[in-house]
Amino acid sequence: MDDDLPTDFQVIVVGTGMVESIVAAACSRIRKNVLHMDSSDHYGGLWASYNFDGLQKFIKEVNSDPKKQVQVYNLSEKWYIEKESPELENKDEENKTDDSKSEQVKKVWSQASFATEYRKFNIDMTPKLLFSRGPLVELLISSNIARYAEFRCVTRVLTWLDDRLMPVPCSRADVFATEAVSIVEKRMLMKMLTSIVGYNEEEMNNEFKDWESKTFKEYLEHKGLTPNLIHYVLYAIAGGTNAMPCLEGVKECKKFLMSLGRYGNTPFLWPMYGSGELPQCFCRLCAVFGGVYCLNRPIDKVATKTIDEGKNMITIDSKSKTLNCEHLVIGINECPKELLSTESVESCDISKAVFITNGSIMKSDKEPLTLLRFPPLAEGDNTVTVLEVGPATGSCPKGLFVVYFITNKVKDAETDLKPYAERIFDMSGGDQTEATEKPKCLWSLFCNLKDTSAPVASVAAGVHVCSGPDAGLDFDRAVLQVHSTPPQRLLYVQSDSSGYSVTLCSAT
Amino acid sequence: MAKTYDCLFKLLLIGDSGVGKTSILFRFSEDAFNISFISTIGIDFKIRTIDLDGKKVKLQIWDTAGQERFRTITTAYYRGSMGIMLVYDVTNEKSFENIKNWIRNIEENASADVEKMILGNKCDLDSKRQVSKERGEQLAIEYQIKFVETSAKDSLNVEYAFFTLARDIKAKMEKKQEASNPTRGSGAHQLRANEQQRRPTSWLSRCSLL
Repeated sequence: MDDDLPTDFQVIVVGTGMVESIVAAACSRIRKNVLHMDSSDHYGGLWASYNFDGLQKFIKEVNSDPKKQVQVYNLSEKWYIEKESPELENKDEENKTDDSKSEQVKKVWSQASFATEYRKFNIDMTPKLLFSRGPLVELLISSNIARYAEFRCVTRVLTWLDDRLMPVPCSRADVFATEAVSIVEKRMLMKMLTSIVGYNEEEMNNEFKDWESKTFKEYLEHKGLTPNLIHYVLYAIAGGTNAMPCLEGVKECKKFLMSLGRYGNTPFLWPMYGSGELPQCFCRLCAVFGGVYCLNRPIDKVATKTIDEGKNMITIDSKSKTLNCEHLVIGINECPKELLSTESVESCDISKAVFITNGSIMKSDKEPLTLLRFPPLAEGDNTVTVLEVGPATGSCPKGLFVVYFITNKVKDAETDLKPYAERIFDMSGGDQTEATEKPKCLWSLFCNLKDTSAPVASVAAGVHVCSGPDAGLDFDRAVLQVHSTPPQRLLYVQSDSSGYSVTLCSAT
Repeated sequence: MAKTYDCLFKLLLIGDSGVGKTSILFRFSEDAFNISFISTIGIDFKIRTIDLDGKKVKLQIWDTAGQERFRTITTAYYRGSMGIMLVYDVTNEKSFENIKNWIRNIEENASADVEKMILGNKCDLDSKRQVSKERGEQLAIEYQIKFVETSAKDSLNVEYAFFTLARDIKAKMEKKQEASNPTRGSGAHQLRANEQQRRPTSWLSRCSLL
């Protein structure tokens, strides 16, 4: 089937992660002749979404292949429910009882019922939100790629305060409506938020002049905010810790505030069917403009040579075929080691967990879509980001929720995250119909991911390395890696320390 | 601004390369045929609004963008589709055999209740025919899918096919609405530059290679 694959391209992109896919779309859009391939049989690489069956295959693959464990390790899956649920098998009630009865009587899930409904799951390897006015939303709109995807608004932002979940008032309306904050506090908060919105780096106005070396918490305290307000702003809005530098906190808050009020009550959007859809949308645009797609196509060897006039030619051996191109754009996980510059980058790996539960972490009239940011519960911990998505997002069958936990690794995923999960889930297994305060955890997956999000330069001219997913809440790092902010209007893949190896650069 | 249609159906075209998906799309949306189509570049989807029993139905018909060539259609392509045209070429045995694979692909990725129809295209090329009409019919019966032979070139049955598919989707929708109390609105967003009319050209289209 691959035999009629052409061999000569201007740009070959290897790997279908977020960064690679944005570059592929950009190159194709300017009518470069693009081949985009991936070694696995699906799109997205470490940014992919899997249905339940696909996820099982992924787990098996990682556990049986030491090479894969360089990227993903400490992978452990656990069930909290029975293999079969016999009483459910012989009843033909699936279709009819949906609307009235099953609302009250909780369905009893089994491993078998997960397997039957495997297609209804879309579980993300790299779950991420979009800021409503962030660079990805702007890019999706301006490039028309937005038409390939649908989004849902995050309906609420929660925090963990005084040993319980608390909603964070994040819009102006919320601030005024909430009873958790007194009138005096409201005024204080609004004043402070207004000065944060006014912050801008170039002018560096007087307000933040003396705060460069201090923490954000000190600033909030200086502003006379009460402990409750400090908690909301520092942990929930800025997503920081006590040590967060002031200006970083201000920037994070500003990003949050600027994205309010565009699409919903919170600043965030979640892609329907999971984050793994988004790289695919960029791939579609690439294809619409003539990009050729090939999955299941590992590369064996990459060689570069300089032909006259300083032009590069890169040859790639793949499945006994030799492919030629002027530019090779390659995901860091697919890139042969010898092409990477050896300077090691300090990085902190990522701890991740996915839970499937039988209810939301906090009851709500309508199906919620939740962002929860845990402040560190123990000394030395990092903040933990929690995303809870339900059936309306296409992430799971009715009656279930998928909950993602992400933090920077301290020890290993399970040690880092289980104490947090236990606060909001009942992880004891047992009777699912039992009325419990917390939702029952039915299934869990812990894993660590190597952080490959730092820019890495390549040693060969014409080869551009794309970095992997980061632990951040949004896609901004991936987008900004390809495209810096105006006015430079540069489209670049990487820069290296020896100056600036702009590789793909805009005309304007 | 008032909506100019009553409902919107997202339809897909699926099938091997070169069976004439894009030609069918052009015939239906623009009543045009161009023999020199090489492969699909720059075509995302086409729109035609039809009248179905007094209702204005906007059909948004998506093309594969060439991603069928090496079986790399994105899962995102299938999302939200309500009807799928499975197209093979009656002069190409292989494309007919592959219909089964495409059906499997649809079962894996599209919604379970998506309406399907099989089209045997290029039926004007009778001298080169490799797949008889009977075999097409047989396959359709096997999967309980409607079937028709078409010619985008001679404008044969293309209208009929889309109208039939659209009518089936409409009937299914109405049946569903009767059966269940109105389901919650989808509530999902399509992103648009809503606050201002400004639409800068994307930087994606402005990059250049050094």
